[in-house]
Amino acid sequence: MRVGVMRLLTAVAGLALMGVGVSLLLDVRDLSGALVWLGGAVVLHDALIAPLVLLIGWVLVRGGVRGPVRRALLVAGALTAVALPVMLRPGKPANSSVLPLDYPRNWLLTLLAVAVVTALLPAARATRRSRRRPPK
Amino acid sequence: MGGMRSRFFPPVFKGRLHDARTATSIGRLLGVAFVVCFVTGLISHVMQHPPAWAADGLPSRPVWGYRLTQGLHVASGIAAIPLLLAKLWAVYPRLFVWPPVRSVRHALERLSVAVLVAAAVFEVATGLLNTTQWYPWPFSFVPVHYAVAWLVAGSLVLHIAVKAPEIRAHWSRRSPGTLALPEEDGPDRRSLLAAVVAAAGAVTVTTVGQSLTPLKDLTLLAPRHPDHGPQGLPVNRTAAAAGVGRISAEHYRLTVAGPRPFTLTLDELRGLPQHEAELPIACVEGWSKSAHWTGVRVMDLLALAGAPPHARVRVVSLQTRGGYGVSEMGHEYARDPLTLLALHLNGRELAPDHGYPARLIAPNRPGVLQTKWVGRLEVLS
Repeated sequence: MRVGVMRLLTAVAGLALMGVGVSLLLDVRDLSGALVWLGGAVVLHDALIAPLVLLIGWVLVRGGVRGPVRRALLVAGALTAVALPVMLRPGKPANSSVLPLDYPRNWLLTLLAVAVVTALLPAARATRRSRRRPPK
Repeated sequence: MGGMRSRFFPPVFKGRLHDARTATSIGRLLGVAFVVCFVTGLISHVMQHPPAWAADGLPSRPVWGYRLTQGLHVASGIAAIPLLLAKLWAVYPRLFVWPPVRSVRHALERLSVAVLVAAAVFEVATGLLNTTQWYPWPFSFVPVHYAVAWLVAGSLVLHIAVKAPEIRAHWSRRSPGTLALPEEDGPDRRSLLAAVVAAAGAVTVTTVGQSLTPLKDLTLLAPRHPDHGPQGLPVNRTAAAAGVGRISAEHYRLTVAGPRPFTLTLDELRGLPQHEAELPIACVEGWSKSAHWTGVRVMDLLALAGAPPHARVRVVSLQTRGGYGVSEMGHEYARDPLTLLALHLNGRELAPDHGYPARLIAPNRPGVLQTKWVGRLEVLS
């Protein structure tokens, strides 16, 4: 297969940018710590997060659930991922304007909103459909 | 090698949608988020740690420049979290391709993907934790986050080059590769993509109000809220943390070092012509808020000191603890009529945590360089 010139140049550009990253990393003082965290990121995802998500998906498909429930779980999962650091950060914040909100409450509110929207969407769609139907 | 195969390994993925069309569709969105995040990150890096060639050339306009770019940096990074997880889910079965290595080229390709995955997960995770000022790692955040950003950018460009034929074949609904996939997966795939977009939208809407103030009432999960802080403005370092406490008005002196050096008391500073400016505080951690500032123009002080028109200025804080006690600015900032040595915030005297009695406030400048508790201005040649 002939590799196009553009494709080759793009690949070379990518390698060059990676080279910048590597040379910057080599200047970092605690390089081994950074490498452990880089490797840890892959292990955490590949060995824990991805299998867990796949397991949930498998259970859902077994239960015959797709569409709206999957969407609700995806949105709720993303909100939870973003909420974890603000909820779990240990220690006292630097001052009262850092992490000033009641995050566990807010997280539950977002999940509640997801549940409500998920429950109401089919009803809203049905209403719209019945409106569109010509009157008898 | 075949001996390693068993009933359970490599695993079999029966789920649908682990296909190139799904990966391409999510990858495009993720690519946009990463490009925005990388470019705005570079801008922030240059603004905060200007290399010698840029130190004097940085523009002080637009006023909202850094507020926009750094708000976008954090927002695109947060939006990338569900996009990245969905993308990795779509391609996860490829982790178990058998045999694991077919050729040198295949090995290099897999290695580049490993670098991309590691660097991408690392960047969004460390970035998100940094916004909450949570540093569980042994290394210094800024240089490592910056270096790994280049790894993400490079391995992403390389990945696009490697996958170009597949991306092209699955670019649209009518591309040949997409048409070759089972037709009945189409609606299910569209439903999944809609869900991923909804997830990215949800995390954005619940956090972006920390800088996009019209949405502040929806700020449920952001580490900052525009209304929380002394005088209704968030702070990063308090007077106590900076070791300055309450500076007494009688003892305060501002020294301006230049060709005609002079020293001013606080009353003398108050007696100079006062000017007003509507300028945002925009923090590298992603929050920002506009405020109304009143004070003395830095350009007026420089004129009194007989500074040449293209002089750079060093601003020195009275703080005794913590970093960023000294900041410098190029002539564009120093000569900008909006750059103030502010004495008042929203019509009231500065609170100690906002830099009483005098702080620097300049347009298009990272918050950490808006030096507080200013005791000295130095004209640099």
